[in-house]
Amino acid sequence: MISRLTLATRTGLIVVLSLLAVLLGAFAIVQLADTSEADDTRPLPARIASLVSLLERSPADQHPLILRATSSRVFVATLEPGSHVGTTQDRPFLRLAARRLEEQLDALGGRPSSVTLTRAPDSATGIEYRIGLTTGDTLVVRIRSRLATRLFGLPLWLVMAAFGVLVSLIALAAMHHQTRPLARLASAVDRIDPAGPPVLLPEPASGAREIHALISAFNRLQARLSHLMRARMAMLGGISHDVRTFATRLRLRIDRIPQHAERERAAADIADMIRLLDDALLASRAGAGELSESLVEFDDVVRTEVEDRRAEGKAVELHIPEDSPGAVVLGDRLALRRIVANLVDNALKYGQAVHLSLAFGEQTVVLNVDDRGPGIPPEHREAVLEPFVRLETSRNRRTGGAGLGLAVVRSLVEAHGGTLSIEDAPAGGARVVVRLPLCRI
Amino acid sequence: MSAAPAVILIVEDDPEIRQLVSELMRREGFEVEAAEDAAAMDVILGRVRPDLVILDLMLPGEDGLSICRRLRAQHALPILMLTAKSDEIDRVVGLEMGADDYLVKPFGPRELVARVRAVLRRGSLPPRPPDRRFAFGPFVIDLDARQLAVANGDPVSLTSAEFDLLACFVQRPRRVLTRNQILDWTRGRSADPFDRTVDMLISRLRRKLDAASPGSNLIATVRNGGYLLTAHVKPLA
Repeated sequence: MISRLTLATRTGLIVVLSLLAVLLGAFAIVQLADTSEADDTRPLPARIASLVSLLERSPADQHPLILRATSSRVFVATLEPGSHVGTTQDRPFLRLAARRLEEQLDALGGRPSSVTLTRAPDSATGIEYRIGLTTGDTLVVRIRSRLATRLFGLPLWLVMAAFGVLVSLIALAAMHHQTRPLARLASAVDRIDPAGPPVLLPEPASGAREIHALISAFNRLQARLSHLMRARMAMLGGISHDVRTFATRLRLRIDRIPQHAERERAAADIADMIRLLDDALLASRAGAGELSESLVEFDDVVRTEVEDRRAEGKAVELHIPEDSPGAVVLGDRLALRRIVANLVDNALKYGQAVHLSLAFGEQTVVLNVDDRGPGIPPEHREAVLEPFVRLETSRNRRTGGAGLGLAVVRSLVEAHGGTLSIEDAPAGGARVVVRLPLCRI
Repeated sequence: MSAAPAVILIVEDDPEIRQLVSELMRREGFEVEAAEDAAAMDVILGRVRPDLVILDLMLPGEDGLSICRRLRAQHALPILMLTAKSDEIDRVVGLEMGADDYLVKPFGPRELVARVRAVLRRGSLPPRPPDRRFAFGPFVIDLDARQLAVANGDPVSLTSAEFDLLACFVQRPRRVLTRNQILDWTRGRSADPFDRTVDMLISRLRRKLDAASPGSNLIATVRNGGYLLTAHVKPLA
């Protein structure tokens, strides 16, 4: 959960939480340290008892003076004519206060008294003491609780919370402003197209020095990457073009070889060489994200490759479910063809006969390529997917291929967001499983 | 076949391949002219009219694609294209160029001779105007008249920029087009990475297509910010 918060939110939260802690701490210190007010808010019962006996002993015309002298903002003493003493509310702290007061009043000979919670006319909450005086009047002492103090007619905690929210919003906005270049950086990194021109990010006019440094470092990295990629692609393209030119000359020249069989073998060698070059070029383009993408009917690609092999008299079987919904894949048509062709040719080379089957899942299409060979032991399965690893070291080069086949297929499959794995075929032999994501548009 | 041997013009920049192919063609009884680039080819064309041109796709200076387009526009010459990349075949024989046939390098001599004879026998395809009317989804588009209509004939009005964008998709159906490619093809300029014109244009175009045929949803957005036309495009006679 916390890992999903943005940098701005995190920093904002830190600011807000520390601000809140400081406010609460300051509040607590004021509460605890200001003892003069604490005396008023938690008045000593003796103070009330003294007021009672003072009022009873002085003439009635002095009472307003006495009341004014003893009252403060939080300790408000008034006299009400007549006896209006209620009953103490049943709250533990009120009963405790009432008992303390009664102890003091008992020393004067006992007076009727009550302690209740009140809501004063200015709507502040507080505690109200009522004592029936011997003069027949009632002394009312209202204590306004410090905690219930109001600001702008709102409870203090609400004002504090509102202030906190306001501060946090400002902090968030400021952090968002600060981190926006980072978000743009991230989206630019996502858009990097190694084949295209570098997407240079403009440096923000304002902002932290670290972000400036990050953006210019990113731009330099991108320029280098783009240069490197262009150089590599240009080199591969050049090699491919030149090798093809030499191969074309050679192919035209071998026509002068008198023996038919030799000539055919030489032609096959040249064809293999070019296929290898093409596959390597395709794989490196796939690695650079340079494949062209289109909607391709993968089942048609498989059918076409199978028919081509059958026309050459190879033993290739294909099973596609009757109710096949069709398999549209977003990918490079040539690369998808090379995936199937390489797997089928590989299986024919090592396993004589091939059985292909297609299965359709919700999100994926699965191609199984089974051969009738000896199979691949589990401990070697990872190794054969690496370039230039062949299991049958005893076989000589006559069986063809440089051992790039499965490695190329794997990188092409992975460039399409798919996976390739090696299993045991149900009928013995090896099974190569290709899973490709279906395109649902 | 007439008594005079057919004249083959070979345009190929590699001198050895040029020579090897020339010898092969002479052995097969053709008359051969050879050029190493477009300029030399034009000189020869001013002098003789070949029966077939064997044209390399990758040439220094004016490339094979452009030469092919020019030859088809000026003369009704049969063209056999030589390409180095198998993934360019689509472009070579497709709408864009209309070569009569192609061969991928490296090719065998027998294969080349067979293709040459086949094209000569068939004669050049009549210089058909490329198909410019297409049906896709519930729509019909006419690229020359610059009109878009729903299949029942109701016209859909598009701005010039929207039409160019749609034409760009129709000519490359079911292929993912990046923002840069779209800008390249519609405006002929390279893209500013923060340019959102294409995105805005696409959303306006989508709205109009959807208003004309609700729920058609023909232009999809794919990962990494590309777009594609999901409908199959069929040329109309």
